[in-house]
Amino acid sequence: MAGIDTGGGHGGKKSVNQELPLVPFIDFLLCCVMFLLVTAVWNQLARIQTNQSIAGTPTVAPDEEPPVRRRLKVTAAGYDIIIGTDAPQSIPKNGETYNVAELHTRLAALQSSDPNRHDLIIESADGVEYHHIIDAMDVTAGAGLRDFSLSPIPMGN
Amino acid sequence: MSFKLREPTPKLTKPEKHLLHHIPLRFVHMRVVGGGGKSLNMELPLIPFIDFLITLVVFLLMSFSASGELVAQQATIRLPSAEHTSQLEMSPVVSIDRNVITLDGRRIVDTPSLLTSAEAARIEPLVEALELKKRQWTMLHPGTENPGIVIFSVDQAIDFRAIKKVMISVASAGFIHISFAVNSRGG
Repeated sequence: MAGIDTGGGHGGKKSVNQELPLVPFIDFLLCCVMFLLVTAVWNQLARIQTNQSIAGTPTVAPDEEPPVRRRLKVTAAGYDIIIGTDAPQSIPKNGETYNVAELHTRLAALQSSDPNRHDLIIESADGVEYHHIIDAMDVTAGAGLRDFSLSPIPMGN
Repeated sequence: MSFKLREPTPKLTKPEKHLLHHIPLRFVHMRVVGGGGKSLNMELPLIPFIDFLITLVVFLLMSFSASGELVAQQATIRLPSAEHTSQLEMSPVVSIDRNVITLDGRRIVDTPSLLTSAEAARIEPLVEALELKKRQWTMLHPGTENPGIVIFSVDQAIDFRAIKKVMISVASAGFIHISFAVNSRGG
């Protein structure tokens, strides 16, 4: 056991050596370790927050002109970026994988063209697996379009 | 007639050590007394042990996370990973795996039955269960508006066709904010 030895205690005086009670301290630490091991969660769960974009929901005052709708459509062939009524900008798949890097470049350019807007509507076709939509949302948030929403129904032009 | 008790004469012996002097084996005697041999006492190195324990406690405290308590991981659900994420909050959890859709662990509908038609129809049992949740929340938090958040815990290989029907049902019940549970890639 650990102790503090000051070298005194000679000549009839009371010894000033102190014995540190380390065993209760070790017991306490072992209890802490057990509790933390039992309650530990090793996977780091998090969330991607989004809103549902419902077709026909008015978002601006009636006398204001609605902003140009910006959409990202995830299809079985790749990504389509649709600005207003313009023709879709297609980002085809590289073989079997979606071209996420190109999508990030295009969305970052879209964001820098209008830095005050952070909105984008993400749509998906039937048959697309969920993790591809999550990838699209992750890239969208990474490109600075934080106020993106997910639409369960394609909005059309 | 009288008897006089005679006090026993104390036996005078030469002063010597009394303790432990009667151990017959010489080498044991030497060890026990501690003279002429290595002592049997051992000093346990407790300080490095305590250092190790403190390091372990600090590591476990730093990796402590309560987010796993909000969304119970199911063996049938493999969550996708994402980088740009935020912390989970307490909300109703809709879980979708290949077989069944549940709300807070209670079975609502079978997933294969949703995939049979492409029609964007709402799931009535889910709408009713969520509306009940909303009423319960209002009773528990009087005077506070429901934040309208629901957590989706979806297997990464699920078709979007099933998810959109759940989304429409959730929106019908007044929950328009959706949190998609993902594994954080650290960003």
